[in-house]
Amino acid sequence: MISNGAEIGKLTLLSLVWLTIVFTAVWMATWAVGILLPMLLQNGLGERAMLINEILRFVTPVVSILVFIPINAMFMVLIERRALALFTVRKGPNIVGPDGYLQTAADAVKLLFKEDITPIGADAVMFTLAPIVFFAPSIFGAVPLLAAVTNNHALFQVLNLPTGIFYVLAAASVPVVALVMAGWSSNNKYSLVGGLRSAAQAISYEIPLVLSIITICVLAGTLDLVKITEQQAGGILNWNLLGGGALSGIDKYLAAMISGQPVGSILQASYPFSALSAVATGALICCTIISFWLYLTGACAEINRIPFDLPEAESELVSGYNTEYSGIKFAIFFLAEFTNLFVVSSIATVMFLGGGDNPIPVWILDKLPLVPQLVQALRDSFLVQTLHLINPETLFSTLWVILKVYSLVFFAILIRGTLPRFRIDQLMDFGWKRLIPLSLIVFVIVVFARGLVNCHG
Amino acid sequence: MANLLARAFHGLNQVRRGLATVFGHSFREPITKEYPQIVPDITTNFRGRLALTVNPETGDHLCISCRQCERVCPDKCIEITSAKSAETGKLELIDFKIDHGLCMFCGLCTEVCPTYCIINTNDFELSEYAREDLIYDLKKLTLSQDESAFYFERKEMPIPKPKPAKAAPAAGAAAAAKPAAAAGAAAPAAASAAAPAAAGASAAKAEAPKAEEKKEEKKEEPKAEAPKAEEKKEEKKEEPKAEAPKAEEKKEEKKEEPKADSPAAEEKKD
Repeated sequence: MISNGAEIGKLTLLSLVWLTIVFTAVWMATWAVGILLPMLLQNGLGERAMLINEILRFVTPVVSILVFIPINAMFMVLIERRALALFTVRKGPNIVGPDGYLQTAADAVKLLFKEDITPIGADAVMFTLAPIVFFAPSIFGAVPLLAAVTNNHALFQVLNLPTGIFYVLAAASVPVVALVMAGWSSNNKYSLVGGLRSAAQAISYEIPLVLSIITICVLAGTLDLVKITEQQAGGILNWNLLGGGALSGIDKYLAAMISGQPVGSILQASYPFSALSAVATGALICCTIISFWLYLTGACAEINRIPFDLPEAESELVSGYNTEYSGIKFAIFFLAEFTNLFVVSSIATVMFLGGGDNPIPVWILDKLPLVPQLVQALRDSFLVQTLHLINPETLFSTLWVILKVYSLVFFAILIRGTLPRFRIDQLMDFGWKRLIPLSLIVFVIVVFARGLVNCHG
Repeated sequence: MANLLARAFHGLNQVRRGLATVFGHSFREPITKEYPQIVPDITTNFRGRLALTVNPETGDHLCISCRQCERVCPDKCIEITSAKSAETGKLELIDFKIDHGLCMFCGLCTEVCPTYCIINTNDFELSEYAREDLIYDLKKLTLSQDESAFYFERKEMPIPKPKPAKAAPAAGAAAAAKPAAAAGAAAPAAASAAAPAAAGASAAKAEAPKAEEKKEEKKEEPKAEAPKAEEKKEEKKEEPKAEAPKAEEKKEEKKEEPKADSPAAEEKKD
């Protein structure tokens, strides 16, 4: 039945190779700045290293992000093109480098060497500032996510915020300003229409997006991304996607039953009103799944991806706000778009899919053969003990994060390959008349239902 | 409200179906042909770059300067230069130019060509740096013997018989003296050593009145037909008596050539 095994195999291999490159590079950079350098300084400088260490603690997360973003964007553009080719029964880029692995690297080099043109009549300052304003939030906005996705790794704890998700969402709404700036300063009708459309769209779709996130925050009882991740630990039943902790009572009950401990009043503690609690649990599960869907829709619109790519509709607006951009400025726009895709996928992972949590419940995982031995072997190895190169907890949770995030990215690519673009009035109708009421209803239901069940918060 | 919900579920279901379909596509064999590396299969009647064939066996140029292709060309992209040879009184091809920038590859010229000389090749990679480079001259147009053989086989065209090397001028001289008889004589000369070709003779006779008017063309007519007669002869050498009717039958089957010849003769008057 599968007559395309070769191409799928190539795509899988490409993803694995590139992911290895991306995360090895990021971890090597982070390790060099965050662990190796302080170790060397400690030996060389002694007491005076204190100040430098303090600075390095803050520099490390930024370095990791700065290394991560360009390589990751190159990988994501490549995987998007190859995956779209699969969906449209083509082959995609496979000439540059081994089987097309270096296509996007070549593209990046080409873009960097292109002439940087500022059109006549353009507002030069705004024109130059727009890509920067567009790109900057994806760096400083993503910082609090780092601790959450690396299982609260010591190197990234510094930049964790008690109001993490609030900060991330605030940063995520800045790029809209940049798009309007780019559209206005280009001195081009199409660009202006694109910029204004993007403003209208972002204002409309940020509301369901934020409301769906707030729903989860209500269930979790906190804005701290690390705490939200920790709450969801212990298997798929604890994830916010399935009721935001409404099922963790069942999870505990099953765990106790399997391990032969007294079941006692676990169920009674989690579900105080037997029938009502059951109904509330069902409602919560429905609501969180709808929230997840609302979040994905809103995020798609927020980062201007198909089917919400009205600001840069190629066929209508000649790619909208970035019509007049060329060379490195265009490259920055391009980079930021894919980084934003990664960031919204990471937020979805942290908020809904349990961050770095293993989907298999703990009480099954403990019964599996070989897993504890493997972890122990890794923990005793030279890499961990002497060089602190790998932190086993971080390693496993990071692998799960990568899997989840890139699955969402893949889903976004699938949606891009499937759905046609909205018309602008349909977009507004859908946003204001459908999504916002739906998200408000979900929010109200969750607020009432969570009183009947013991949730994370 | 119920209507709204029903529509919402319907819409979601449609999206789900779309996603499933598109995802299903990823299990199909890609239709991409990696063109420069893998040249696609081209059908025999593909109308690519125009070229002139030579006789695949002897290497003689097949063009007889009849100018039919030049006349029929809708774009007027063919330009033939020919001159009457003083010795033989025949038209000799001096230059043959085709502007591929003008050509629309309709293939009409290949259809009217009486000698299968001008053909559409399989070559479609015609890009050049200058527009002038698209004007192909005789040298560029003429195919080698091997290429001609390839296209004659591929397009299943009958392989022409070689020109009667020394006999032709003699026959021409004879034709000048006695048209009807010369036409009869030309065929045996072309057949060279074989028995007199009934087919060639009869064809020549049929066109005898015209032959009186235009000697040069007549010489070519028997020549073009003589190969045919010979082909058939070679096939059926054991039965020399049955030859004549069979040859005539076959001529009828392949009527295009004689038919194409007679208008050629008329057109060549001017």
